[in-house]
Amino acid sequence: MKKLIIVAALAALPLQAVVAADYSIDPSHTYVSFAINHVGFSTMRGKFDRQSGSMQLDPGAKKASVMIEIDAASIDTGHARRDAHLQSPDFLNAVENPTITFKSTAVTWNGSVLATVTGDLTILGVSKPVTRTVTSMKCGPHQFSKKDTCGFDATGSIKRSDYGVNYGLPTIGEVLDLQIEIEASKG
Amino acid sequence: MIEQLLSRPEIQSAAVPFIVAFVAYFGLRKVTERAWIWALLAAFLAAAGLINGLTVTPLTGTRKIILLVIASFFVAALLPWVLAHQNLQRRISTIISQLALLWVFWAVVSRMQSSAMVLFLAGSISLVLVLEDLFDRVADNPAKLHSAGLSLLLGVGLSATAAASALLGQLALALAAGSGGAFLAWMFTGNTTVNQTKQSITTLPYVMAPALLGVAAVIFAHLPWYALIPLASIPLVVNLVPLNTDSRFVHALLASLPGLVIAVAVAFYVWQAGSSGAGY
Repeated sequence: MKKLIIVAALAALPLQAVVAADYSIDPSHTYVSFAINHVGFSTMRGKFDRQSGSMQLDPGAKKASVMIEIDAASIDTGHARRDAHLQSPDFLNAVENPTITFKSTAVTWNGSVLATVTGDLTILGVSKPVTRTVTSMKCGPHQFSKKDTCGFDATGSIKRSDYGVNYGLPTIGEVLDLQIEIEASKG
Repeated sequence: MIEQLLSRPEIQSAAVPFIVAFVAYFGLRKVTERAWIWALLAAFLAAAGLINGLTVTPLTGTRKIILLVIASFFVAALLPWVLAHQNLQRRISTIISQLALLWVFWAVVSRMQSSAMVLFLAGSISLVLVLEDLFDRVADNPAKLHSAGLSLLLGVGLSATAAASALLGQLALALAAGSGGAFLAWMFTGNTTVNQTKQSITTLPYVMAPALLGVAAVIFAHLPWYALIPLASIPLVVNLVPLNTDSRFVHALLASLPGLVIAVAVAFYVWQAGSSGAGY
């Protein structure tokens, strides 16, 4: 009888895992991009080319968590010299702090879709809580890969001085619009 | 208005340290024979406060360098009082410099592959040893000492800026400007020789600041490592200049010219090589 209970419990484990589903972030369809005011004249845009992470979603239980790791050296503004400057100690200090991370701590739901994702954003080793507003979300089987897939777009702003990124203040903008677009699949 | 003015890089890393060092040297020249060290420290504190703010967190490599450069001034000014023995001073100077290198760069070096780690350690340790030896040779001649220090720091500052980091560049340039300020004050008031036994540890700031900022520019900001070779030769070249005159101004001019030429030429090369740069 005991054996039967243990076997039944083990068999139930994968089922629980399916309910609180694990998704792997698809790096080729995940974008972390930003926009910042440049000397009051224009808006400069850029993105990071390399990121990885994972996501757990359980819409039924209104639970979700996201972890994304961004390679700071992969910053790309379409201008090699500027990218090298942004990687330097003046800004991201990418050699000393190779990753920027976002780890969610709480989410809110609007029906069956995420409304906000709150979490700790770590830049230059400094972690600060931030809340991203989810502007769109879709979950379902992927048309091509047939895998269960979820994706969402989240946006919000941060003050770079909160993270010790002070170079060029106040001439170069302090508030950074940070956009995170994630696509993640099971298995 | 003042705040806006003080946020300008040329004010932070040129005008302020130059004026502070100039005034401090004048004020301290009759109080201590090491007035230039205190003058340069005052200039660096003022400049670093404006460039970096008065914060040490998060404790990045750059902030560690700022703390170490400040500490090097105190060691240079105070240690000769408590340790008269030349060889001991030299050994302590070497140990301090090597420990400083490890403290600043170990977090990065420890992630390197073993061959890269060996190259880095061999290169950076050699750089410090070479600079120590070369500055030791000019320690008893103020014109050569400050010419070498000024030119080397100017070269490191311009090259770091031309590579990718205005922050590292500004710190080195601030020290160069401070050195220039103290140097100018010396031209008006000082002696062409120093009436004291050569105390190599007094040159520690001129060794540690360019070494740490130069290596940081290589590791953190894409400065080609080989740019440090001609820069490190500046004190050697300055020492070869014959100074057969009593005029302090002529001393200063003759001793400064070759180092300044090398500094500007290296920075120009780095910029032209397109190793990436902050000025876009």
